[in-house]
Amino acid sequence: MSDADRPIDERGIDAGDETELERAGDVETAGPDDDFDPVQVFPESEDMDLRPGADDCYKCSTCDTSCPVAEVDDEFPGPKFQGPEQWRLKRQEDHDIDETVMKCSNCMRCDGACPSDVPLSQMHNTARGEYVQKGMSKLSVEYWRNRTLANYRRLAPLAAMFPRTSNFVMGLGPVRWLGEKLFGITSEREFPEFATETFRAWWAKRGGAETSRQRAKEARAERGEDGAEKRIAYFHGCYANYNTPEVAKALVRVYEHFGYEVMVPEQRCSGTPMFANGMLEDARRAAETNVDELATAIEEGADVVASCSSCSMSLRQEYPELFDLEGVDDVAANTWDAVEYLQVHEDLTGELEGASVEGVAGMEDFAYHAPCHARNQGLAGQTREVLAPIDGVEVHDVGDSCSGISGTYGWKEEHYDTSMKIGEEMFEHMEAADAEAGLTECPTCSMQMGHGTGYEITHTLEVLEAALVGAGSDGGGARPDR
Amino acid sequence: MARDTEVLVLGGGSTGCGIARDLAMRGLEVTLVERGNLTEGTTGRMHGLLHSGGRYAVSDRASARECIEENRVLREIAGHCVEETGGLFVKRPEDSDDYFRKKLEGCRDCDIPARVLSGREAREVEPYLAKDVERAIEVPDGAVDPFRLCVANAVDAERHGARIETHAEVIDLLREGDDVYGVEVRHDSGPGKRTHRAPGTTEEITADYVVNATGAWAGQIGAMADLEIEVRPSKGVMTIMNVRQVDTVVNRCRPKGDADIVVPHETTAILGTTDEEVEDPDDYPEEQWEVDQMIDTLAELVPILEEARTIRSFWGVRPLYEPPGTGTQDPTDITRDFFLLDHDERDGVAGIASIVGGKFTTYRAMAEEIADHVCAELGVDARCRTADEALPGSENLADLENAMDDFGLRSPIARRSKQRLGSRSREVLETDEPNPVICACEGVTRAEMQDAIEQSGSDLNAVRIRTRASMGNCQGGFCTQEMAHELHPEYDEPTVRDALDELYQERWKGQRHALWGEQLSQAMLSYALHATTLNRDSDPAGRDGDLEYGAFDAGPDAGPDADADATDRTPLDRRADGGEDR
Ligand SMILES: Cc1cc2nc3c(=O)[nH]c(=O)nc-3n(C[C@H](O)[C@H](O)[C@H](O)COP(=O)(O)OP(=O)(O)OC[C@H]3O[C@@H](n4cnc5c(N)ncnc54)[C@H](O)[C@@H]3O)c2cc1C
Ligand code: SF4
Ligand code: SF4
Repeated sequence: MSDADRPIDERGIDAGDETELERAGDVETAGPDDDFDPVQVFPESEDMDLRPGADDCYKCSTCDTSCPVAEVDDEFPGPKFQGPEQWRLKRQEDHDIDETVMKCSNCMRCDGACPSDVPLSQMHNTARGEYVQKGMSKLSVEYWRNRTLANYRRLAPLAAMFPRTSNFVMGLGPVRWLGEKLFGITSEREFPEFATETFRAWWAKRGGAETSRQRAKEARAERGEDGAEKRIAYFHGCYANYNTPEVAKALVRVYEHFGYEVMVPEQRCSGTPMFANGMLEDARRAAETNVDELATAIEEGADVVASCSSCSMSLRQEYPELFDLEGVDDVAANTWDAVEYLQVHEDLTGELEGASVEGVAGMEDFAYHAPCHARNQGLAGQTREVLAPIDGVEVHDVGDSCSGISGTYGWKEEHYDTSMKIGEEMFEHMEAADAEAGLTECPTCSMQMGHGTGYEITHTLEVLEAALVGAGSDGGGARPDR
Repeated sequence: MARDTEVLVLGGGSTGCGIARDLAMRGLEVTLVERGNLTEGTTGRMHGLLHSGGRYAVSDRASARECIEENRVLREIAGHCVEETGGLFVKRPEDSDDYFRKKLEGCRDCDIPARVLSGREAREVEPYLAKDVERAIEVPDGAVDPFRLCVANAVDAERHGARIETHAEVIDLLREGDDVYGVEVRHDSGPGKRTHRAPGTTEEITADYVVNATGAWAGQIGAMADLEIEVRPSKGVMTIMNVRQVDTVVNRCRPKGDADIVVPHETTAILGTTDEEVEDPDDYPEEQWEVDQMIDTLAELVPILEEARTIRSFWGVRPLYEPPGTGTQDPTDITRDFFLLDHDERDGVAGIASIVGGKFTTYRAMAEEIADHVCAELGVDARCRTADEALPGSENLADLENAMDDFGLRSPIARRSKQRLGSRSREVLETDEPNPVICACEGVTRAEMQDAIEQSGSDLNAVRIRTRASMGNCQGGFCTQEMAHELHPEYDEPTVRDALDELYQERWKGQRHALWGEQLSQAMLSYALHATTLNRDSDPAGRDGDLEYGAFDAGPDAGPDADADATDRTPLDRRADGGEDR
């Protein structure tokens, strides 16, 4: 068959067979086009063509002035170069990405700063993926260190099985020293402690969804609400599961207090640390599970809430930007920050009016840091506003600087100094604030806050729990009097 | 009588520069004069397509064959000016199957490698192609940078002893009886490299033979010696997109028509074009609807063009020619072939030939034919070597690839610099001096700027076409003044200011037809920045004559009287201090 009369897509054409045309190249006959998304050039997510995104940039440099890394590190060219400029200089076959992309902490402040909607973090994430894929040697220690940090969740279950041993071993000076020498993980930081019981273990022991349904029903009856069911799917992420189950438990109790049935679907890491390390393939695999599970929960009538601001950011913004998965837009549209959701759907202020945490140790004076990823979701002022009506709580906002740790970033030996330099402003403001403890919604920000000031750090949901349900209530979750 | 030069070439476009190089390599003494910068004419206002010949494969097979031959030659000798993009002739449902078949057949007849792709395969090559594109023919089209190629020809001609004079306008042909023996030129700022504010001069240059390679202006030159040359200038519009939506040349597979091709060009993509005869190649209307219509039509092939940002539009005039008596009505039907008019044979006037028509892609072959003619006229026996010897910048390009040297630059900057400089990269970029990026949009460093300034004098537009500085999305908003700084201290402040003004005007000119959406934001930002930080909306220091500083600031000793004085001034006075001028 000559290629001039090959069936083209579904449409055949009736061409006469010219022998002249027999010299045709031997190309496979291709089937009909499947629904093709032009942004995704190749099946690999790191090969997206984001050059058109550079159209929106008019080079005002606002992004550069808001980048915490560029502020302290002269070697970092800043988001404008890293994003629109670098993309615009590309030809399809060019794959060399400047190595400075690894200096970007993925705080995403540039995203929020840009007046012109340039998809900066999407560009950074994609470029980083490409750099790691093509530019970073798979044999390098850096690659494996980054992969280990990014896939922290894979290691966490092991540690969680023997939490005391893990905590003890991780805490040993020589181990941390070795970590730095062999792996480039800074010895300046202490590894986060693993909880003796993970949130999911607690959840299962407590009776899982069945118990929650029961409690929610009781709560609704008590609140005089009509029978309509209220349901959320909780995306707890890794940290609340392995390290701070008290935050996850607080969420469960607060939501049940408002009559919500809590579902805890199967889930994997949200991908935040993987994006930051350019491990887009790993992130994609995790995203497949998460989107699948959460989309199912949404179909069952739940909305998705997350207690970690980076997890909600990831599900809402990065997933749809980076992965062309079935249901991804649905999940993005129905995911909320846990406090935001209550503020929108319940009369949170009314409920908290007159509530009190007086007498609860460590709950009076907080130095509050809004994580960059909360800021990007428009939630910078939320915590102060929500907690204001509670008696006995003072929240001092420590300003809009970045904490500097940005997930796994500050864990790397080569970034430790940068990370601490960025954090300086926040540390100073925390010291200056009339406070006795720190407050934030991001696990790694909280590590940095603790590391820089020695404060205990609380999550906003824990304050809500103390005010609405009573602090440190029993492992079963409900107050004894209920 | 002893003449100043053996051959005098008029016009510094691709044709003129190609002829100058060819003759200089054959050992002849050559002078080239050009009224503006190199590429000032049509060469600097063309589409950038290195034809595979596919576009002519149905209508004009002779041209098609010539194109594919020269296409192969240029890949070899001008590798650093050519990007091997490949090209597609895409067929939409409403386009004729019959024509598609003819196109394929024609390509094969002319030895143009051609392969049919299904719609899906075509979209794998170019993901932004319309979903209803049914199929495509893949051909070896390429993208070529006319500026770099033309400059490289001129530089090589100079290396072989030629004299290249830019900003030297021919104002008269010297004719005595039936013999043309030279020209009179007006040097904008004296002979040699251009320096703003240097006084203009005129010069008579005599030659044994004159080659009129002024393209669309050939008729005007001819008229200076009462020679009639029937050039029919035909304008075409092109629009530059901010980014490359395609990395392959995308042609519409249909007989002929406006707006049927997108060519990736450096960091941009260029849409084109139209074909409409005009009276005067220096003065014709440029209209917004031409741009709008083109974007709409091409969006049928590449739908995202509809939404995409354009950074400027420009028009060029084709030097079309047809022998007297042909009488073609539609300019698209006029042949794209070139004609060598031997005025001795034609008009009985010796010592001059004119060259009209033709294409950029075949400039070298044209130059070869003309150089052969000139050699025959002058009785010189020398062989053409332009097909075998690489242009400066294109020698041993593989060595450059292998060296993988970044010259201390961030990798995308190094990559772009090397794509532009080719084998001259090391010579230009290796420096002990700090080498900051001057133009961030295009990734041009100071070292490359300085190299271009060395070639161009104070002419920043000449620096621009060599480097692409100020040709990115801000269109000079952020870098024109930095470019001007680079002229200092070699050139003094007033010279630098004039050079800046000229570049600035040129950059705004092309943006006029792109002022909507994002480019309008860009222009507003550039305007505001320049007004507020450089005083460019009304800079008193830019005026001629001495400034009376006392007129708007009498200094610390001035009492309240001085103030009262100020309120009495007329609006004209106030304008003089730069307050309200626009
Ligand atoms: C819209 C358009 C798109 C095109 N696209 C392509 C394409 O994609 N591929 C391709 O191969 N070809 C293309 N062409 C054709 C190609 O651009 C021209 O054929 C080629 O550039 C002509 O070069 P030239 O040197 O003959 O003329 P020019 O480049 O016009 O050179 C003539 C020079 O003479 C100078 N001059 C004029 N008067 C005087 C004077 N009095 N004194 C001194 N100098 C003077 C002018 O300033 C000018 O620089 C295109 C043409 C047009 C109009
Ligand atoms: S994500 Fe943060 S660190 Fe990275 S470029 Fe943007 S502002 Fe800078
Ligand atoms: S803030 Fe946005 S528009 Fe401004 S330079 Fe950065 S990316 Fe470009």
